[in-house]
Parts: sequence; C-alpha cells; structure tokens
Amino acid sequence: MALVTIVTLAALAAAVVCGLVIGPTPIGAARVLGDVVSHLGLGRSTLTPLQSTIIWQLRAPRMVLGLLAGAMLAVAGATYQGVFRNPLADPYLLGVAAGAGLGATVAIVDLGGGLNTPSWTPLLAFGGAMVAVVVTWVIGGRGLRSSTSTLILAGVAVAALFTSSQTFLLQQSSPNSIARVYIWLLGSLASASWSSVELVLPYVLVCVVICVAAGQALDVMSVGEDESRSLGLPVRRVRLIVIAASSLGTAAIVSAVGLIGFVGIIVPHIVRLLVGTSYRRILPISVAFGAAFLVFADTIARTVMAPSELPLGVVTAIVGAPVFVIVLSLRRQMVT
Amino acid sequence: MSTVELHNLSVRAGSTTLISDVSLDVEAGTWCTIIGPNGAGKTTLVETAAGLRRPWKGSVSISGEPVGSMSERERAKRVALVPQHPTVPAGMSVRDYVALGRTAYHGLLRAPSALDRRTVDTVLTRLSLEEFSHRDVFTLSGGERQRMVLARALAQSTMVMVLDEPITGLDLRHQITILELLQKEVHECGLTVLATLHDLTLAGQFADRLVLLDHGRVVLDGPSDEVVRSEELEACYGMRLRVVDVDGADVVIPVRH
Repeated sequence: MALVTIVTLAALAAAVVCGLVIGPTPIGAARVLGDVVSHLGLGRSTLTPLQSTIIWQLRAPRMVLGLLAGAMLAVAGATYQGVFRNPLADPYLLGVAAGAGLGATVAIVDLGGGLNTPSWTPLLAFGGAMVAVVVTWVIGGRGLRSSTSTLILAGVAVAALFTSSQTFLLQQSSPNSIARVYIWLLGSLASASWSSVELVLPYVLVCVVICVAAGQALDVMSVGEDESRSLGLPVRRVRLIVIAASSLGTAAIVSAVGLIGFVGIIVPHIVRLLVGTSYRRILPISVAFGAAFLVFADTIARTVMAPSELPLGVVTAIVGAPVFVIVLSLRRQMVT
Repeated sequence: MSTVELHNLSVRAGSTTLISDVSLDVEAGTWCTIIGPNGAGKTTLVETAAGLRRPWKGSVSISGEPVGSMSERERAKRVALVPQHPTVPAGMSVRDYVALGRTAYHGLLRAPSALDRRTVDTVLTRLSLEEFSHRDVFTLSGGERQRMVLARALAQSTMVMVLDEPITGLDLRHQITILELLQKEVHECGLTVLATLHDLTLAGQFADRLVLLDHGRVVLDGPSDEVVRSEELEACYGMRLRVVDVDGADVVIPVRH
C-alpha cells in the first residue's frame, strides 16, 4: 500500500509537470519551474510575457481542470461500484451522461430563445444531468426503499429517454450543430479557463471529500444490504448521500469538460488490482490516480496531432485499456 | 426476564401473510430454536426479530425496547444476526471481516478504538481463528467460514444472537463445532439465542426450548424433549418420526412409508 501511494503521488507530481511543460510551444521544464517558484516569491522568472501567458492562462487552468475531472470521475466510479456492488457501474449509471448530453444539445442546437450561446452549454448540461438523476431517483422508488437494481433499471430507462430526445433534436438540427454536439460528447479540456475551474472546484472538493469519507461505509456494504443493516449501517441514508455526492460532482465536471468515458470505470479497477478490495484504500488512491491519469491523457490528446487535438475520451480509452491489461496480467503473475 | 419478546406478530409480503399472530418470549441466557417444514415462516420470523423486516401487526422488543424504534446502530448493539447465506466479499481478510462486527461502536468516520481491536482479537482467539486472521475470506473452507461469520456476530458484543440455519452445508463435525461454540456462549456469557434449524436431532439436543412453526403460526412451544416426541411434529412434517434415546440424547429418525 505504501509503495502504491508513493508511486501514485509521484505520478501525480509528474502529471502536473507534464501538464505545464509539454505543449506545442516549447518552453524548457527548468524555466517553467523557475517561473512557478518565482510566483512563490523565490527567484526571478525567465519567461517572456507570452510564455507566461501560455503557462498561466492556457496550460495551468487546463491542467488543474484535468486534475479535478480525473479525480472526480475516478472516485465517483469507485463509489458507484461500491454502492451498487457492481463492477460495471460508472459515474454515468444513473443518467448523468444522457441528461448532460441532452442539456448540452439543447444549448448547442438552435432552438431559439437565445440558449445557443457557449455560456449556456455548461449550465444546461449541468441542469440536464441533475434532472436525469433526480428523475431516476424518483422513478426508482425514491431510492430509499427500492433496491439498487431498481435504481439501475430506472437509470437505464431515463438514459434511454434522454438519449432518444437528444437524437431527435440532432436529427432536426444542422450538420454544423451535429458536429459541435459530437465534439462535446467526446469530451475535451480545450476550453478550460480559470473561471471554469472556479465553477467546478467547490462541487468537486465537497463531493470528493464525501466520497472518500464513505470508504468505511462501502466496506461494510460489501456484505449486502441486509447484513450491513444488521451491523449497524444506515444503508439507505448512506446510499442517498453517496449517490448524491457522486452524481453532483460528476454533473459539475461533465458540464465543464463534456463526456469523458473510461476514467470512471477503469481507474477504480486498476487501483483495486493494486491495493486490494477495501474502499478505504481504493477511494483516496483513485482520486490521485484518476487525476494523474487524465492529465497524462490530455497531454497526449493535445500534443500527438498538434496543432489539432485528439478527443480526450478516445485517448483515455486507448491509454487506459492497455494499462488495465498490463496491471491485470502483473497481478495474475503475482497471485500465481 | 424476557430478552426477546414477540407480541402478536404478523408479517406480510404484499397480500400474502407469512407470519400470523405469533407471540413468543425468549428468556435471557437461554436458547430457543424455531423448527418447522420449508415455508413455515422460520426465516421471516427471525429476520423480523432481528429488525430486518417490519411487522404488519404486533411488535418485537429486545430487553423491553421496541426494535422498530431503534436506529440501525442501536439495534446492532443489541442483536446480532448470522444469516442463512452470508455474503463473503472476496479480497477481505478474516480479521477485517470480523471487525465489521464493531461498526456500530466506532461509527463510519472514526477508526476502530483500542477496545474494538481488543474485542476482535478476543473473538478470533475464542473461535480459534487467529491463524487465519490475515487470510482472504474466500480461501476458507465452509466450516472455517461459518466460524468466521459467527465471530463477526460475537464481535458485536450483543446480548441476543439470531441465527438462521447456521449449520447449512456443513459436515457433521463442523455442525457440532458451531453449535457447541454457541452453547458455550449461552452457558458462559449468558447469550440469548434465537435460531432456526432443520435438523430436528441437533435442534432438540442444543436448544432449551423448541417452537414448532407451520404456515406462519406457532403449533407447539415447549421443552425440546417434549416437542420432538409430539404428535404435532409428525403432523406438521406429514410423516412418521421415531425418537430414539442414544446415551441420553434424543435422536429423531424419519420413517419411510
């Protein structure tokens, strides 16, 4: 566990450096770090004003948003897997993705009413995501009395409804709108700014803290609902709090960066292979691992085909799948 | 003094009545076993007594306090449950599994206290599980696993333990081991046991009292030796039973037609 923690934190530090240093405009790592240190009142920066702007107005907010998105999606995925006791659960299980997709489509496609401006996209995506989760919760028997499988099925139904509504809107829209929606669906950090960081930061901080704090409860829940209750766990209340935190945090992230797949499902599994099945270990490591993973993936996304960018969702899958397979085979070798 | 009191208890699932007007008092430090054919309502009865099901009518009290008005945490400090098919999460160590029994004491945001850790150590020792304590629960045999589930229930440090078919799937030696461990807790620690068992011989040999349940109603309630020799028992199971005395112990043998 200690080794995994050290390696993960080192990867996180490396991801931060990569996020600041690597980009189409070559700026030496030492000079970038010198500039960072100068902001702490130590030494003098050797960067030109343009280079400083690139670092602080383009790369830094993008890197920070990547850290927040990766951390939130990974911890939400791990939390969902624990609450639903389902290894295939991801943060989009209860309709967050479909709701956000519909909201973003409404904003991007010109429906009149002045909604099709870029500033409406995150707001409507966030609203759509939250509406979808709340509708799922209500349909699923308000989640408190219902079983988790009822909630999952309600999520499937709501996602289908929202996705088909989105498809209908796209069918009625122009090819240009379809292309913009498609780009949004694939997820990107390209439009990251300090204002988008400020917007999601409070949600992510609060939700990540709640999810990580739920580790002990999720360990108890691994024995099933009835047994957990007999052990003293207020299962229904815990489930409500944890799902609300995961969904709210995910909705905030999705509204800012679009739909980034794979992180929420694959990072918790990689972490589980490394640290075992206890959520007290999985959740904090997932936060750091997810953050590092997404910043590395974004660095690849924006440099491999520079000046154009690869969709972030594509990179997370292309990078994540082999990493998962390698960890899985290493783990098997260790076990045998 | 009664520790567990079921008062005019009725339980329904939808429109089906599973338990009908059952009243039962289990004295502190005694062992009461519910017997009866499949579908008699044994599991429903003990699950309701453990607070996992809401009664349709009537009430369940532990030491005079209604189970329905207790929080999960309060209830877990008063009654422990050994389910018929416990969920055993792969990857968890035996020690961590047994420590789940202390959840109600340390809560969800605090680490286990020294007392919690000491209690877990004591229980592991008492049930001879120390040598397995760091093993993955999934690597245990059926008997070891059942001992571990019992250890988790004992770690709850409750006065009452509810067990639903605790020896299902175990070989004869492990059946006796589990029941003897439980009997020791009853005799030495004053534990009150409410259990269900299918094996009439073992039910009769270990319980102070047997309650015969059929179609959700109590058919007979009395000392074990009287219930195993009763006509009602044969009527409920719909077959002849012969009771043979072997070294002072009643052995119930089904007689084939």
